[in-house]
Amino acid sequence: MLKPYLPFLMVLALAVINAIFMLGLSHTLSAVLKTRRLTPTKLAPYESGMPVLGDARDRFSVKFYLVAMLFIVFDIETVFLIPWAAAYQQQLPLRGVLLVEMAVFIVILAVGYVYVWKRGALQWD
Amino acid sequence: MSISPSGSALQSRFGAAVTRVVESCGDTIAYVNRDRAHEILAWLRDDPGQHFNYLTDVTAVEYRDAERPLEVVYQLRSLDRKADLRVKIELAKREPLEVDSVCDLWKGANWLERETFDMFGVRFRGHPDLRRILMWETYSEGYPLRKDFPLRGHFSRAEQTRQALAGNPEAHYSLEELSIAEAFHELPADMRDRLEKGERGKVG
Amino acid sequence: MGLSPVPAPESRAELDAVSPNWVTTKLSALINWSRTRSLWPMPFGTACCAIEFMATAASRFDLARFGMERQSFSPRQADVLICAGRLPFKLAPVIRRVWDQMPQPKWAISMGACASSGGIFDTYTMVQGIDTIIPVDVYVPGCPPRPEGLLYAILLLQKKISGEILTDTALREEQVLGPHGLFLPPSKIDEVSEPFGNSVHQTRSA
Repeated sequence: MLKPYLPFLMVLALAVINAIFMLGLSHTLSAVLKTRRLTPTKLAPYESGMPVLGDARDRFSVKFYLVAMLFIVFDIETVFLIPWAAAYQQQLPLRGVLLVEMAVFIVILAVGYVYVWKRGALQWD
Repeated sequence: MSISPSGSALQSRFGAAVTRVVESCGDTIAYVNRDRAHEILAWLRDDPGQHFNYLTDVTAVEYRDAERPLEVVYQLRSLDRKADLRVKIELAKREPLEVDSVCDLWKGANWLERETFDMFGVRFRGHPDLRRILMWETYSEGYPLRKDFPLRGHFSRAEQTRQALAGNPEAHYSLEELSIAEAFHELPADMRDRLEKGERGKVG
Repeated sequence: MGLSPVPAPESRAELDAVSPNWVTTKLSALINWSRTRSLWPMPFGTACCAIEFMATAASRFDLARFGMERQSFSPRQADVLICAGRLPFKLAPVIRRVWDQMPQPKWAISMGACASSGGIFDTYTMVQGIDTIIPVDVYVPGCPPRPEGLLYAILLLQKKISGEILTDTALREEQVLGPHGLFLPPSKIDEVSEPFGNSVHQTRSA
């Protein structure tokens, strides 16, 4: 059953072997051949030639996380709509039931959407 | 060309504090006393007939003739009336070079006065943060634009290079000052509100 | 916090002991060929010479055909530091730090009169030649130099790199600041910064 996919598997294996070979070769070669001329200034982070000020670990705004979470939820809702649409097209006698079921599903998510909207989570600033 | 009405208005309002008003190449220059200078400049900004709301420049002049006093020059402009005025304060070189700061009148005077201090050594009383701006803060050779300062500086080139390489340009700043997120609670209240509401580009 | 001097580098006795032979010569030739044909510049452009540098990099004179396709504004991925423009004393620790942060092999081109000698600015603000701060390989005269001048400098640098020998470890030593916080000895700096020409008349005051 999976026989047509065999060439694909071979290409995948070749790609993985090739990547490991190239990365490994460059890594080990550079570790062996490199010169070690390190000075304290050379090791310091680059800040346009200025002495280093502070930590690079800043706080991120929570809005990025919120947007990502909301996207996941509504994207999955969209994903569920697609097979439903295929089933809806094929099942002629059950159309009424299918429609009501999906409507309930969308209404539940719409309530959540209105809540998110009113709470201001969609405000970027 | 004649003296602008601001010059005559100054003389009639402040009398002897305005030592003289001259006209040169179309510009009106008013020489004022150091003691009442701040009051005069405040009047020039606030009086409805004058309304010099834009401070173009603060600088100083030292003339080639050693007998002439050092002058602190304020270049004013009225944006509504489209009029200019130059106000000068003469300072005798033998006395300490001190003038009242006008940062409370025009916010832009902050850096302009720092530059005048850096280049001429004129101290501005009441300035919130008077330190060097063009040269580095620990610059110890003197005040470069004074006439007794040689063009190549006082120290040898090697010493200048050594001091320059040892300098730390950002020593004055703390991370809180450089990062607005950290210093948010120290900003003025109206700026905090604006940033919180997310308004951008709103003027006035 | 300044630029700290560094202890003496470890000895590369094994490499120094190898005498140049057929293998090292051919290897040198290959390495130098690849280095000269892919010099990534770090444009340390401060003033007018930077405009001429941009003109050289643009289509009419095109730096990309010399391998300088990617101009690296981070020293980490740059091969040659091109200081284009005058350098104030305030900027001296910056260029020194940027130079220190470039990994070996690295070269420097001093572009223009101001970077090479201080130019017309023999004043209290300007470094009298960046070679008092970093080691320079090629100097380009001009105020500003024509693009052809900068291209000639790059070709000269390529010629210099082609003459490098693989077994010469002294070439790739980090030239750090000395114990007195300077790159050159103080007498040397004073000697190369002596006024000449019109500057002789500008040492007076009042």
